[in-house]
Amino acid sequence: MNNFRFTAYLTSNIDSDKSIIDQILSQCLTKHYNKNEFLLRQNEKCKYTFFVETGLLRQYSIDDKGKEHIIQFAPENWFMTDRESVYFNQPSHYFIQALENTTVLLLEEQFLLDLAQKDASFLAFNNKLLHNHIRHLQRRVTQLQSATAEERYLYFIKIYPDLLLRVSQIQIASYLGITPESLSRVRKELAIKNSQQ
Amino acid sequence: MATKTVELVVGPREPHFVGDGFRVHNFIPSTYRLDMQRMNPIIMMDYNSPYYFEPSDIPKGVGVHPHRGFETVTIAYKGKVEHHDSSGGGGIISEGDVQWMTAASGVLHKEFHEKEWSKKGGDFQMVQLWINLPAKDKMSAPKYQSIENAKIKRFTLEKGMGEIEIIAGEYKGIKGTASTFTPLHMFNAKLKEGAKATFNFPPHYNTALLVIEGEVIVNNTEEAPTDNFVLMANDGEEFTIEAKNDAIVLILSGEPIHEPIAAHGPFVMNTKQELLQAFDDYNKGKFGYLED
Repeated sequence: MNNFRFTAYLTSNIDSDKSIIDQILSQCLTKHYNKNEFLLRQNEKCKYTFFVETGLLRQYSIDDKGKEHIIQFAPENWFMTDRESVYFNQPSHYFIQALENTTVLLLEEQFLLDLAQKDASFLAFNNKLLHNHIRHLQRRVTQLQSATAEERYLYFIKIYPDLLLRVSQIQIASYLGITPESLSRVRKELAIKNSQQ
Repeated sequence: MATKTVELVVGPREPHFVGDGFRVHNFIPSTYRLDMQRMNPIIMMDYNSPYYFEPSDIPKGVGVHPHRGFETVTIAYKGKVEHHDSSGGGGIISEGDVQWMTAASGVLHKEFHEKEWSKKGGDFQMVQLWINLPAKDKMSAPKYQSIENAKIKRFTLEKGMGEIEIIAGEYKGIKGTASTFTPLHMFNAKLKEGAKATFNFPPHYNTALLVIEGEVIVNNTEEAPTDNFVLMANDGEEFTIEAKNDAIVLILSGEPIHEPIAAHGPFVMNTKQELLQAFDDYNKGKFGYLED
């Protein structure tokens, strides 16, 4: 079965019987995207939540001056969607793009809502996931308001330990809300401090 | 003496680019039956088969990246590469030279086509190998061995039929130039048409050939065309190579390191914990700093 990884994720996170998990998987489509391909474009309606089996996604907006702002990366075992678009049925403000050749599971919103009604443990799981996402976004807002470039970088490497080797510094700087020059300076200062230990 | 037989002849896979300066066919570890353990201590082999690079004022290559837990060996057949690392080391390797970098506890380095060569463009052909280190040496200090072609020891075949360059290990009593952490033989056999050479390694050593130029016949029967990789079985000791036309063959044979491998990206360690530590150390600048 090619959606083995998602099965492992579900079994480790929900206390649900196997038939529920089989039901989820039987309703999910697996799709492959090549590097640079789009899963969602601005002004389209987002139809799915994407679960990354292998590869890497980014979600970003483009401002009036044409500058990109990355709101999230999704490597393996991460979910990505535009909740405003998918839940409130609004056109999206965001692009979702594959940064590497990526295989995702497509989860339909209505299917997830139906499942949550039928199965209490899935409801709890989905609730936890949603709160985890809110927590993550809250911390990001606080960081973008008040944290130093170094603090933002240190938090980034904690949640995304291998992305520094997979993503350009320009994109990491965009995610952190700092200039590439600031990111370079932070990394240089850390190197000077830490390589002498 | 028992014959070491051919286990597998593998043609080159679809090439991919490493950075924008190396167009390589990967043989190890992506080939079926050629994972990191099969040819251990040789755990990665990328082959840039001859490829013409257009002139470029901005040298093509690979930007700053880390390594930990192994050695990288770059053998230049055509073209020139310039490299720099976080310990202040660097240099240029040209046709026939070998750069042996022991990353061990960790370096940052970058590799680009040499500036003047890049401006002119030309044919480029190189092999890059990753050589595993035993657990006790994975965190030793990084070092370089820059091996110029003129310094490589040679065994000359009779009647001027060619020569065996001994990069590492030993051939017919002649010791190679590079020092290695575990027993390892690495030769370039440069053979004239019709030349025959015999090699002898212990059965348990993992052994392979890469046909860089020309075509050869192994053990009088197995044809190995240009750009093909030949995996030798762990059965006998001795095998012969005969050149159908003028040929260059890279010959590799090493004693396997019987330890677990935990590998991800540019780090090759023994446990998952050590891998996570490598990522953390790299993210926090413990590999030093190198300007892009």
